[in-house]
Amino acid sequence: MKNKRFLIVVTVICLVLIVTALPFASACTPKAKPGQELKVGMMTPSTGPAAEKGAPGGHGVIDAMEYINKELGGAGGYPIKLLWRDSGYDAAKVATIVKNFMAEGCLMFTTHASAEMTAGMEIANRAEFPGMATYTSAVIYRPPQHIYGQMPDYGDDWAFFATYYMKNIWKGSGKPKMALHLLNNSTGYGARDGARALADKLGIELIWPPEEHTTTTISEMESLTRIKTKNPDVLFISSTPAPTAVILKNARDLGIYPGITIGCAHASFTKALIDLAGANVAEGVYGVFPTVSWDDNVPGIAKAAEYCKKNNPKDYGNMDYLSTWSTSLIVAEILKLAVKNAGYDVLAKGNVESWRAIETQAIQKLKDFDVGGLHGPVSYTPGDNRLDKYLRLYKISGGKINLLVDWTEAPLIKYEEFPWFGK
Amino acid sequence: MAELVQYLITGIAVGMVYALIALGFALIWKSSSVANLALGQLVLLSSWFTYGMLVQARFPLWLSFPLVILFAMFLGWTIERVALRPLIAQPILSLITVTLGIAYFIEGLVSFIWPWSVDALPRLFPTEPIHIGTAVVSQEYIWVVGISLVVFGLLSLFFRYHKMGIAMRATADDQLAVQACGIPVTTIFSRSWMFACIVAAIGGILISSIGGITYGLVETGLKAFSVVILGGLDSFLGCIIAGPIIGLCESLGGGFLTPFLWAGVKDIIPFVIIIIVMVIKPYGLFGEVRIERI
Amino acid sequence: MSLPCGTRDYTYDTDMAILRTKTQWGLFIGLLVFLFTLPLYLGNYWLGVANLIGITLIAATGLNILTGYCGQLSIGHAGFIAVGAYTSAILTNRLGLPFLAGLVCAGLTAGVIGLIFGIPSVRVKGFYLAITTIAAQFIIIWVINHWSALTGGFVGIKVPYASIGGFAFISEGSQFYLIMTITVLCTLLAKNLARTRVGRAFIAIRDNDLAAEVMGISLFYYKLLAFFIGCFLAGIAGSLLAHWVGFMNAEHFRLTESILYVGMIIIGGLGTTLGPILGVIFIRLLQQILTVQVGPFLESTFTALPSGFATGIAPMLFGLVIVLFLIFEPRGFAHRWTLFKAAYRLWPFSY
Repeated sequence: MKNKRFLIVVTVICLVLIVTALPFASACTPKAKPGQELKVGMMTPSTGPAAEKGAPGGHGVIDAMEYINKELGGAGGYPIKLLWRDSGYDAAKVATIVKNFMAEGCLMFTTHASAEMTAGMEIANRAEFPGMATYTSAVIYRPPQHIYGQMPDYGDDWAFFATYYMKNIWKGSGKPKMALHLLNNSTGYGARDGARALADKLGIELIWPPEEHTTTTISEMESLTRIKTKNPDVLFISSTPAPTAVILKNARDLGIYPGITIGCAHASFTKALIDLAGANVAEGVYGVFPTVSWDDNVPGIAKAAEYCKKNNPKDYGNMDYLSTWSTSLIVAEILKLAVKNAGYDVLAKGNVESWRAIETQAIQKLKDFDVGGLHGPVSYTPGDNRLDKYLRLYKISGGKINLLVDWTEAPLIKYEEFPWFGK
Repeated sequence: MAELVQYLITGIAVGMVYALIALGFALIWKSSSVANLALGQLVLLSSWFTYGMLVQARFPLWLSFPLVILFAMFLGWTIERVALRPLIAQPILSLITVTLGIAYFIEGLVSFIWPWSVDALPRLFPTEPIHIGTAVVSQEYIWVVGISLVVFGLLSLFFRYHKMGIAMRATADDQLAVQACGIPVTTIFSRSWMFACIVAAIGGILISSIGGITYGLVETGLKAFSVVILGGLDSFLGCIIAGPIIGLCESLGGGFLTPFLWAGVKDIIPFVIIIIVMVIKPYGLFGEVRIERI
Repeated sequence: MSLPCGTRDYTYDTDMAILRTKTQWGLFIGLLVFLFTLPLYLGNYWLGVANLIGITLIAATGLNILTGYCGQLSIGHAGFIAVGAYTSAILTNRLGLPFLAGLVCAGLTAGVIGLIFGIPSVRVKGFYLAITTIAAQFIIIWVINHWSALTGGFVGIKVPYASIGGFAFISEGSQFYLIMTITVLCTLLAKNLARTRVGRAFIAIRDNDLAAEVMGISLFYYKLLAFFIGCFLAGIAGSLLAHWVGFMNAEHFRLTESILYVGMIIIGGLGTTLGPILGVIFIRLLQQILTVQVGPFLESTFTALPSGFATGIAPMLFGLVIVLFLIFEPRGFAHRWTLFKAAYRLWPFSY
């Protein structure tokens, strides 16, 4: 009968679920470490709305850890056990994943997208569990607690581009007018906060309020029309590749560009932008990026390219892959310093003591660590939880991203001193 | 006032894009009273398949296009046969939830086959923008409007004159009577799903040639709901007229209201319209009004 | 409701009681004891999952009252949870009010907002109402994102620890007790609601609202009441969620969350009290297993497979489970459970 058959099916499914859940039962017991290894938790939004960045990001993490364990012998001689999770860009999942990392005895955790970190940071901060975000937004580490940023945030992007613009491109007298086109999340509003903090000091007049758009926009004609009537000299876009491509196309159609200068923040300035917009549409656009591009001849690129072509050939040329590859290298260095300064026994406990050791003896002892030249040197400065503060300016010409200005330090902006900074 | 013309034209063009997706929805609703919440994902899958044909397999356009149509038909047939046939008499809630499950499944399928989740179709239309007065419109939009109107015309003719079309309309009216006449209702459901998927595929190709293939196609599908509501859930004419109306409201509202209100007003306008329509005229402009009085 | 053989009731009260036999009482007390001693042997991670299940359960119970009992389909539940979460966050963070005040106000605010967006329910039914609730969710989230002075806009707002009278719920275990107590209370509320006049009115409206109106049940009053109660519980869930995560951001409340809630109550079984419990536990555990166990396992062991395999499998499995469930058991887990109970009670004469 249908009833009976269904009951059997249900029982089988339940048994399968129980069997797969058995490993969890062992997680309930105190964290005994059979082998000598260092556990670290890393998450990326490999499915869901941010999959275009998260999927290659996840590959970068896994490939880099494979490289570190196989060829570099792990960290300080101990193999690194990577716990990789797909957060699906879902905040509730992020919360449980962070708790999972803590329960499994991970020594630190990393996230890819800044929104992932905002979902998990309070949980980590309350438990003193150190974390590092590949892509950041100022609210993660201002005021500084236990969360560190691997790369500069979007406010830093704006500051760097604006400084370069004022020095090298702006030839008129008085203040240039800058329009902002922001993605409607922390990516866009990070740039806004940076602009708000520094525009007066740099001598730029901002067209206020900034325009905003969604990740799924297919036409920005009317917002650009509005911008056109205000006669700006420069436009700064802080977004992801797809909407930026739409804006660039619309700006060309409306005749705004070429004419004004367009600069992009690092979330959109990847090969995907050129693919989506077309090489001739994206011609001449400036962009800020915190890592090198794949064509640069730095020592770290060789290994990244080798593993990328071996495991994930489709990701070759993808900046998220490169960013998370560097994240893993930095994590390995942190663990190495921790083993050297604090000793393996403290780390083996996998609890608050180990986390404090990681923070004080390792992360805060980072000094000029070179990630194979993939991005600026990684150092910790007290009062500033950004580990790499260096940015590069690029320009798109001939369908390729070309370097203009080499590593420059982005200054510290103490956002919490401004009354409008959200808390 | 140059902006006004710009806003008008952009609004109508964008609205026709919504209308095209809404057509797919109205098709299924009209023939089987099932709310297809997986519409956005169907558009996404068809766009990716087109990409696969054009870019990965490098078939020429005259070969790819029929293949995409065939694929869409196969997709519609499969979904109807596997997921909806067993649920024929179930309450509408189950049907809606099944389409939600299908939506999740298709999302996973897409990231399974094409894991790099963002790409561009080769340019299908010339990109020179056309100048109408002082306003600028990308030629792609004009093509989209044109093709949408053609599709709408064909569908209307089909439903008015073709035997299968009349059968579909009859099924929407009264399933039992149709069965009594000897028309297999299951075939009709199959066909309507196939048609809806074809329309979604065409809509997907058009939209992704403008904006690239991203996850955003799903959210554009949500905006299409407002078109469907405004126009009436079961009316094609309603879709074609409500589409530009919603596009215009978005464009004009966004253009003129944003300086006074907040940035991003444009995004919320379709949803506010839904609420307003619900309160004033729930069945939309051209929908069939169901009168319940005591 | 079928009972074990030999149960007889001699008064109206015993006839109407929820727990009638000694076995049922025993099982119930055993369940409560088991539940409240969980922190003793579950690690922090599983307690976190249990907390998430508790919070989701409160919201799902609310949705069950609205959709399962009263028949008003709502696919915008995450929006009302967001209202509750943000109200609580704003009151405790910006105004410094105590947690309990924030909790109650969160529920009330969410209920009132639900009431306002429920007004179209008096005019439209079925799918039209569903679309209205989707629109409601988008509008709510949009307002939250743009009213930055109050809500912190896109960046988000920090939420202090929940605390009652000086005791702060910091550890996972203490939060577990707080959340579980409220969950048990809400479930009892829902169970009893179904047995009162209000509950019967809801069921009447669900079955045939015209007939209900004819019989004198005021549709206007009861439909809006359903929205209020459903969203009140969503608000409470939101408040607990805000304090549990510690940082509130509109990213928590996407449309996929709302869809997930509808999926949960359908898989669990609409219109029953047990339904949401089973549905929530099933879906949340499935999510955890797919995310934490299956995904990384597939990605790391089968590196030879194409790179999209692991990341695509989880949503595919998920959607497949929902579809298969609805095909084979559209009335949900709870229905199967009732059949099972009836079967074993009559064994060996069950058919």
